[in-house]
Amino acid sequence: MAFNYDKYLRLEKMPTLWCWGCGDGVILKSFIRAVDKLGIKQDDMCVVSGIGCSGRFSSYVDFNTVHTTHGRTVAYATGIKLANPDKYVVCVAGDGDALAIGGNHTIHGCRRNIDITMIIINNFIYGLTNSQTSPTTPKGMWTVSQKAGNIDPTFDTCELAIASGASFVARESVTSPKKLEKVLVQAMQHKGFALVEALSNCHINLGRKNKMNSAMANLDWIDSITVSKKKYDTLSPEEQLNLLPTGILKQDTEADEYCDMYAEIRKVHQGERAKITQDDFEKKI
Amino acid sequence: MAAVVAPENTPVWVDTARCKACDICVDACPAGVLSMQQEPTSTLGAMISVIAPEACIGCNECELSCPDFAIYVAEKKEFKFAKLTDVSKARQEAIVNNGYRLPTEYKEN
Repeated sequence: MAFNYDKYLRLEKMPTLWCWGCGDGVILKSFIRAVDKLGIKQDDMCVVSGIGCSGRFSSYVDFNTVHTTHGRTVAYATGIKLANPDKYVVCVAGDGDALAIGGNHTIHGCRRNIDITMIIINNFIYGLTNSQTSPTTPKGMWTVSQKAGNIDPTFDTCELAIASGASFVARESVTSPKKLEKVLVQAMQHKGFALVEALSNCHINLGRKNKMNSAMANLDWIDSITVSKKKYDTLSPEEQLNLLPTGILKQDTEADEYCDMYAEIRKVHQGERAKITQDDFEKKI
Repeated sequence: MAAVVAPENTPVWVDTARCKACDICVDACPAGVLSMQQEPTSTLGAMISVIAPEACIGCNECELSCPDFAIYVAEKKEFKFAKLTDVSKARQEAIVNNGYRLPTEYKEN
């Protein structure tokens, strides 16, 4: 008996519409294994996805799913979570979805520290619309919108999330699906905003003009730019320059969670407690 | 549903209706169990096949790295997997160097 992924899939949608070798499939599998490991019932989980290749994610899994507007995954998920605080809510967004058009929603989701797990699938390019520069496209790479070479500086997703106040931040890549599964398990167990950046390959749209036109070539490149957090910390700043640390980068279990705070507001309006004042908070500003 | 139940005495099996021939599993396998073979009806002109099931070590790497839910590996308790040998490693290297297809000298054996 092999692991039964089919239990969590909408079989009428199979095979997936993603290109051959697309890392999104590996992330989907890791996510399913993580859900199975935690023993979450399918009715207790809501998957919210936006627009892009990653938007297909919610179509394939047999949970409660919402396929929302471009970049607004966190906005929808916040509403779902506040109405159902006892359910698991998972956002899935791509790099363009979460950092470009939805950048504002992402950082404010992080700031509120609401109990949502957000998976940002970073494939370094706008894949669905055929190779335009995304906020994470490495400098100097060919894209359709910058054919002479990309000159835009890149976003570091995890640094952005840490600075914005997310209480769990991790990065993993599709080259290590077991580690990705482990990180997703911890992210879903975490109470607070958990952001997992999953580095993925797009050998079709990123790789075709950047000397990585096969899945293996692109995965090898991802391997060459990632290094474990433990090893990363021992390197000098010059060596760290072109590397991304993987693993759990931040874990703060003390931070106030937004749904708990919202429950207090409800109590105020129901006359069960006095108004919230500054004395209720340890960290006020 | 039926695909996840192991066929009798089989360490690894594939669902050719889902495979898109991306080569990732062939590269991930350390023992040269998998290889692409020519298949004119497939989009990329290739299809996965299990060429040396007796060499499978049950490491599960192919199943973990397949993005299309097309490959399955039996559990360790229901099949006695082989150990990784130099012959397996050499076959794996030959397959990868031959563009993920089985070289002709192996076909005759």
